[in-house]
Amino acid sequence: MENLPILSIMALFMGAFLNSLVGRRSRAAGNAVVLIAMGAAFCMMAALVPAVFFGGQTICYWLGGWAPDGGWAYGIGLEVDALSLFFGLIVTIAVLVSGIYSFTYMKEDDSQVNFYTLFLMLSGSVLGLVLSGDLFNVFVMVEIMTFSAVALTAFRNEYEGALEGAFKYLVVGSIGSTCILVGTILVYANLHTLNMAQIAALAPANMNMTMVAAFAFLFVGFATKAFLFPFQPLAADAHAVAPASISLMISGVLTKCGVYGIIRLCYGLFQNMDERSVGYLVTGFGMVTMFICVTMAFNQHNFKRLLAFHSISQVGYVITAIGAGTAMGLSAGLFHAVNHTLFKGLLFLVAGAVQHQSGSLDLDDLGGLSKNMPRTTVLFLIGAASISGLPPFNGFASKWMIYQALFEKAAQSGDFFYVLACLTALITSVLTLASFIKVAQSVFFGQRRAKYAQVKESPLGMRLPMWVLAALCALLGIFYRAFAAGFLNPAAGAALGVDAYIANALTGESVLTEPVSYWAIGSWNPLVWLILLVLATCAVALVSVTNKPRVREACAEGSVSQSAESVVPVTMDGVPAGGSASESVPPEEAKYEPFFSGEESEYSQVGGSDLFWGFKENCRKYFAFWHKWHSGVVNDYALYAVVCLAAVLLYCAAFVK
Amino acid sequence: MTVILMLVKIFLFPGLLFTLLVSLWLAGIDRRLVARMQRRVGPPLLQPWYDYLKCCGKETIIPRKANKRVFLAAPLLGLASVLVTAMLLPVGGISVFSGLTGAADLVVILYLLTFASVTLIVGAAASGSPFAGVGLSREMVAMISYELPFVLVILAVGRAAGQGLNEISQILLGAEGMGVTFSLADIAAYQQLTGLPLIARLSLIPAAIAMLFVIPCEVGQQPLDIDEAETEICEGVLAEYSGRPLARFKLMHLIKMYVMSGLFVAMFLHIETGILVLNVLIYLVLCTLVTFVSMTVPHAIMARLKVEQVFKFYWTFVTALALISLILVWCGV
Amino acid sequence: MSFVQNMIDDAMSKSLWLFHVNAGSCNGCDIEIVATLTPRFDAERLGCKLCGSPRQADIILVSGPITLQSRDRLIRTLAQVPEPYCVVSVGSCPCSGNVFKGSYAVCGPLDKYCHVDVSVAGCAAKPEAIVAGIAQAAAILKEKRKKMVRR
Repeated sequence: MENLPILSIMALFMGAFLNSLVGRRSRAAGNAVVLIAMGAAFCMMAALVPAVFFGGQTICYWLGGWAPDGGWAYGIGLEVDALSLFFGLIVTIAVLVSGIYSFTYMKEDDSQVNFYTLFLMLSGSVLGLVLSGDLFNVFVMVEIMTFSAVALTAFRNEYEGALEGAFKYLVVGSIGSTCILVGTILVYANLHTLNMAQIAALAPANMNMTMVAAFAFLFVGFATKAFLFPFQPLAADAHAVAPASISLMISGVLTKCGVYGIIRLCYGLFQNMDERSVGYLVTGFGMVTMFICVTMAFNQHNFKRLLAFHSISQVGYVITAIGAGTAMGLSAGLFHAVNHTLFKGLLFLVAGAVQHQSGSLDLDDLGGLSKNMPRTTVLFLIGAASISGLPPFNGFASKWMIYQALFEKAAQSGDFFYVLACLTALITSVLTLASFIKVAQSVFFGQRRAKYAQVKESPLGMRLPMWVLAALCALLGIFYRAFAAGFLNPAAGAALGVDAYIANALTGESVLTEPVSYWAIGSWNPLVWLILLVLATCAVALVSVTNKPRVREACAEGSVSQSAESVVPVTMDGVPAGGSASESVPPEEAKYEPFFSGEESEYSQVGGSDLFWGFKENCRKYFAFWHKWHSGVVNDYALYAVVCLAAVLLYCAAFVK
Repeated sequence: MTVILMLVKIFLFPGLLFTLLVSLWLAGIDRRLVARMQRRVGPPLLQPWYDYLKCCGKETIIPRKANKRVFLAAPLLGLASVLVTAMLLPVGGISVFSGLTGAADLVVILYLLTFASVTLIVGAAASGSPFAGVGLSREMVAMISYELPFVLVILAVGRAAGQGLNEISQILLGAEGMGVTFSLADIAAYQQLTGLPLIARLSLIPAAIAMLFVIPCEVGQQPLDIDEAETEICEGVLAEYSGRPLARFKLMHLIKMYVMSGLFVAMFLHIETGILVLNVLIYLVLCTLVTFVSMTVPHAIMARLKVEQVFKFYWTFVTALALISLILVWCGV
Repeated sequence: MSFVQNMIDDAMSKSLWLFHVNAGSCNGCDIEIVATLTPRFDAERLGCKLCGSPRQADIILVSGPITLQSRDRLIRTLAQVPEPYCVVSVGSCPCSGNVFKGSYAVCGPLDKYCHVDVSVAGCAAKPEAIVAGIAQAAAILKEKRKKMVRR
């Protein structure tokens, strides 16, 4: 049992190693290695579920047997409590899905060996990060993660902007990593330990200005990894050019590392989440992120860039909920984190499928693909409904919990700030919906250009992982109460139960954590709703059954088709009317053409950037400002990072105790 | 026995049949009142019913460029979803589901109404018509427009009722509640306990006015029916719909009218006496009143707004009203 | 289920959605059509309502002498109306070409292209006449619906 965490990380890294040995000879063998590595990691994580989630245990593993002595942790440890395992599960599921999808999706690419090696390195590092009980190891894993992600972003370097996107990610990602390193050094200088449990035990009593600075550095570092507000242009640039399976990894897994880091930082290491200033900082970051990113998505012409902005916007939800600092807030945030991985992953895979089949991601160019790819369309609609929070999918359940948590927090603390947070969250939700309506209309519905007439349905190998994600989206939405009781509440309980975390690591005793419990201020019962919906649909359909459709008798006199066909249009002088007489209209054809005010129907697609004119027109100054702000120049982005760091440092110095 | 009672509740009262009758009544009286305000005779009271039947009897044309399945499924799902939403309203103190196991709260109702609009939008998108494309874009902008004040109103009412319930429970039970609530049942219960509808509270009057503005936009009633403006964009979202799917969308529109009026009554004007029949009658009268004030009057006196005007109006004036209310309530006025 | 069918047949004559096609009209009849909807004549009494798409129309009002430019558009629009529907010609132009008869740009009359159920004469047609024509068309619609067979 204790060995499982390290073995799961090892499995992925060993897989990377073996893949580069075997994969060069035969791709099939390489794929088998990758599959086994991913599957093994997932199974080992799943094997820990009963003990950790249902039993409330915390599993510690000390590398080389260097267990703590006399209350001091010398060695490097892995500490898996419910929170770590929760993120571990997210990571391994996402890796598994992404890997299986890649087998088909990356088939035509060359140097796949390098791809899978980097892919497994990335997976292993992320898993290592969330399971690690050692702050310096976290930094090491962040470095591996960043560099393999940069390499994977530029993997298809024949794409325009692939190298550029990777370079930006490299520069600003390094600034983030450096922040984490500096934060770690400051903590070490103060507390003389790198073990997270020990830091958690010592930090609250030893807060001074240096520790506050360390907090600020670590916060900004993790914010970079989660691509929070001033860092979101990187994500957009990286996502747009990365292969779809890597986009899934970046949005579903890498950002989760940032989220995990911020949760551990505020709830675990410094335990200052109760402080009003920290709550403001975290929730403020989340609010700004979710609103700005969702509005930026309005302006995008590229399917995956649009998804990238939404991805960050949804991470903003998670961070906002975490900032509430209540049990329900944390629970809701964790729920949205896992949902984000599921629906965002699904949408990125759909985008990948569209790109794979049609060769384009341009929202102004695509259209009407639902006739070619009906199954992919259904998958997209499920993903879009989930992310825009339509009942009964998972996105709704978690957003609903977030609103409740924020509004409750506002009532408890009397802070109007949290009412604003709740309001922002609700508005962001409808804006998200608007963006996805735009995608639906510009990619799947509406009219199709002639060049896309031959597009085929995506292959089963790509659809299968998507179906898994879609099914999870629906199941988690419908059975959200069971999921909350089984997974979210223990994970939130572990995050809040810092004493148990410390005791488990330092004394070696097994202290159990308790799942959290909370009251909701509303109610939502998806099962009842679904049953009612089915009943109502049946009732409506039944009413229609009594009325079979009728058609006109074929021989009925005076039908348009008859009389108009027999007509040869001539003028009064007997001359055929006009030069256009040859384009006589066959009425049976015309009947099923779209209505064009009587004109001959032609290609006319309202989609892409033309939609939502009324909104954009009114907010054009706002959009113009942010358009300018996203300059695309890496110097600017580095500057934003530095300014953000300075601002957070100042804020923390002034307000955080 | 409970099952039969439940089925009666779902299908007869206050479920499907009742919803249908009230919706038809409201729509009929609305059209008639508009006509009377313009000094016309107006259509018969049953006109919406005739329209529905007529549409059912016509041929259904599925355009060649449409995605057939989505095109046909969207109206069915939309109609069913608003019917279910209507079941979540407390009708004169009784609802299909009651108590803590209640199926849904205000936020859920907000999202279910969004769900219905989305079916309209997706159906329009699936029809492949450029007019529908313009229509769905307008519908979406209208949705963004009214959502902000709607949310603010929900928060204001939730705070006011929650705070009130808190005080009551402190007196009665000596225990504190949450101080806020999203539950429609709670809001209704609070109004019943105090015997005063929430609209009687001074700080909530701006919110009520804002809500009255939100109703026609959410429903898509005349001055705000920018998404199906028949004179500009050929019925917009419904441009390609004919026959039975059209009938379903039209019925969905009528039921939405009732849902919004009923929601307003439950949030601001909930009055309960001891007698069920009287309750239902009062409820019906209030629903009709709300329909008249919020939908009939603007319909009769105003021309259709442009889409950017709608957005500007809702995000400035109506939002300001709702925000004032929320701040006042938050300050405990 | 003949009860339901009868109800629907009845409703057919009580809910008339009009779609107006201007086939080169001088705007005289068009104005009169709008006048039928005003409070003075109030065609909404009969359940009339102008609609914006032929897909939803029951009665197609055609005004104008069918010019060359409008001919194909007229034929297409008529083809897109779901069954059952009625065509009502408004004014003298669609019947006979009126003063435009013989022009190289006119390819009327309307009954060359479709079956005309009701013809309202007049230059311009009076609103009373148009209302009367619509009322006649309503009765015809009901008959047409009755004649339709189940698929």
